[in-house]
Amino acid sequence: MAQLRGLLTYQGIEVWRHTRILQWTLQIVSGIVVVVLVAWFFTNIANAVQDREIPHGWSFLDRAYQTPIGQHILPYESSDSFGYALGVAMVNTVVVSVVGVILATLLGIFIGVARLSSNWLVSKLAMVYIEFFRNVPLLVQLFFWFYIILALPPVREGYVIGEGLFINNGGFSMPFPSATGTGAAILWILLALAGLLAGRVVYQMLLARETNTGQRSYPLLGGLVTAVIIGAVTWVVISLASGDSPLIISSPHPEGRFGRIAGGFTAPAGMVVLLVGLVTYTASFIAEIVRAGIQSVRRGQTEASRALGLTPMETLRYVTFPQALRVIIPPLISQFLNLTKNSSLAGAIGYADLTNVAKTMTQTAPAVSIFLLIMAAYLAMSLTYSLIGNLYNRHIRFTGG
Amino acid sequence: MAATQSSYGERLPPPRTEVGALGWVRQNLFNSKFNAVLTIVSAAVIVLALVYGLRWIIAGADWTVIGVLGGQMVIGQYNTEAACPGQNCFWRPQVSLLLVSAMLGMAWAMAGGGVAKRLAIGVVIIIALFALLPYDFERMGMDVRLLLVANIPAMLVGWAIAHYTHMSGRGIAIYGVAAFIVTLALLRGIPGVPGLQPVLVIYWGGITLNLLLAVVGISLSLPIGIALALGRRSNLPVVKLLCVVFIEVFRGVPLITLLFMSQVLVPLAFPEDFNTNSLFRAGVIITLFSSAYMAENIRGGLQALHPGQAEAARALGLSAWQTTLLISLPQAIRNVIPAIVGQFIALFKDTSLVYIIGMLDVVEISRAFIQGNAQYLGNAKELFVFLALVFWVFTYTMSYVSQKVEEHLGVGGSPQATLARLGMEGNAAPNR
Repeated sequence: MAQLRGLLTYQGIEVWRHTRILQWTLQIVSGIVVVVLVAWFFTNIANAVQDREIPHGWSFLDRAYQTPIGQHILPYESSDSFGYALGVAMVNTVVVSVVGVILATLLGIFIGVARLSSNWLVSKLAMVYIEFFRNVPLLVQLFFWFYIILALPPVREGYVIGEGLFINNGGFSMPFPSATGTGAAILWILLALAGLLAGRVVYQMLLARETNTGQRSYPLLGGLVTAVIIGAVTWVVISLASGDSPLIISSPHPEGRFGRIAGGFTAPAGMVVLLVGLVTYTASFIAEIVRAGIQSVRRGQTEASRALGLTPMETLRYVTFPQALRVIIPPLISQFLNLTKNSSLAGAIGYADLTNVAKTMTQTAPAVSIFLLIMAAYLAMSLTYSLIGNLYNRHIRFTGG
Repeated sequence: MAATQSSYGERLPPPRTEVGALGWVRQNLFNSKFNAVLTIVSAAVIVLALVYGLRWIIAGADWTVIGVLGGQMVIGQYNTEAACPGQNCFWRPQVSLLLVSAMLGMAWAMAGGGVAKRLAIGVVIIIALFALLPYDFERMGMDVRLLLVANIPAMLVGWAIAHYTHMSGRGIAIYGVAAFIVTLALLRGIPGVPGLQPVLVIYWGGITLNLLLAVVGISLSLPIGIALALGRRSNLPVVKLLCVVFIEVFRGVPLITLLFMSQVLVPLAFPEDFNTNSLFRAGVIITLFSSAYMAENIRGGLQALHPGQAEAARALGLSAWQTTLLISLPQAIRNVIPAIVGQFIALFKDTSLVYIIGMLDVVEISRAFIQGNAQYLGNAKELFVFLALVFWVFTYTMSYVSQKVEEHLGVGGSPQATLARLGMEGNAAPNR
């Protein structure tokens, strides 16, 4: 007995009481259990795939998909391959996600600031908005918007909201710049971007002069004027050189016997529904984040800045908001991720996003491969947003100076 | 002396524009030119919304579609001839409801009033009022109505039992688990018992399905989430790695994708005789998905805790497990209650996504009804406005109760609490 006990001791402690041994046992056991489970899963899947002759592998990516995709921003034909079709669907998701993130942030900041307004009525209106949109499932909201759009008049009798703005049950059309010659358009866009960059440099120089010397230098005005002048001059030069302006604004207009809308950019009904639903829903969360962020800045900061003679607008712009931003950014990023993931509800309202197309594909292609692909795609999008957010967060956080 | 005081020191009342209703209006609505404009604009918005909204609700909208759908929204196809041939099965979910009412009464008795009392009384009265719905007795029999009204005495019985036996929180929890098992047995049915024929889960639906999934998800995701959070913070590399991978994968992919994946992959990954059904799969996936978010919420709470707490506990001679379970976790959870409740609300809203695996929850059954009955296509708006209201009542009740609990514990109301609540669908843990 004593011998046995001696055998079961390590460093003079019985093994069942030795912390390090217990921890390692736990780790090894849990590791083995997980590995065995995963292996068992995949063996089963592999067996099932073989037994039931389910298609597998990755060769399907080059095969023609031969199924129409409802809406596509990239050009797409049914004869295109599975791989390309997945790319088209991915672009559909990314476009909705990026446009949705921008619009939801703007609306969210607006409502969040309204929620903090000293005006009782405005604040309560914002509260009602937030409490309603936040507490109802997105799917219900999407269906509501879906049936609203469906109830709109057909294309021919659609509403004209303003010059070149149409809305009907086919979607929403608006003017959009369109290139006359690709080379000239790209050249001008690049030069205009350079102009914006130059404007930013001028802005920073004038701002530095103003803070250093105290002389009024109008940095914002200077920067804007620089950018506009560069943009205009390059526009004129390119127009004269190529004999045509690089971009024209194409306006949508009804065309033909059925009043189909041609020209401009038409967002298909599914996209409009998805964007309206995602933006109004996510904005209610962003509004609360903005409100909490601004409230987390100590009152003394506002009071001190007012005492130094800054106007309420300047106080918000230079004192409150930059400090609130540190609190706002991390949860804001997770809302962006949520918006992207929630865009997978598109299938319910007939928009061809990544999940929806992948779901259709599983009928003619190996499901396991497709799932691995779209999981990787969503993880990649999540990581991209996280990366941008973390970089920005590092940029604005306290440096302790 | 008196004369001078009356002539000099007589106190004038404050100007009438600064006090009372007028003063309130001046201070809150017209304290600057900009605010005056805002007030007028928002008042115009409100008036327009009220005029058009009320006109639509009273005159424009046709609410008959809700009456036609009626019981299907509550229980789906459960009581149809296909699901329950030759008998009325509606009493089974209703008996489960009685068990819930009794539990509300017990919670009231334990809390001794406050929000638990208001909730218990409010819920049973609302349920009882459903007995007065203007259906004829063909569609909604006397038995159904009586069982609805019986929720009031059921709640009172629950209160009396808990009050006179001095039931503890643990007692109520045990009762809750028992009631849940009884509910499942009732809904599922027991083969061979007369009156309790088995009903296939594909017929379960309506708001009952949403609530069932939410209850399972809520009660299981918290313990799993705690385990994952502790695993992620542990210094054992293998355990930590497993937890991180699990959490990040489940948080990185949409729930709807996971649900659909489960439908395609589970039949492949498990042996064919493995008894799976869509309800079980949905419950597992929703629970795991929610646990991943819950883990991050709890990790945020643990990170925010001062290390001195754990150090003091260890110095007093508590073991590592005792320190975690008795010192760190209770404080961490108390601090992230808003986030936890936020996650519960998100989970309840997410139960509407089970449509992807062909389950007829309250949203899907409504959509399917509209699609199948073209004459109601124009009334889809009314139906979904009503559904929004139904969900809102449930979620708002949850957040109201949470706010009361926060007030009680003295953790709510701060911007940090709001942020924590909002972190719920993402990383509540601060980025590092």
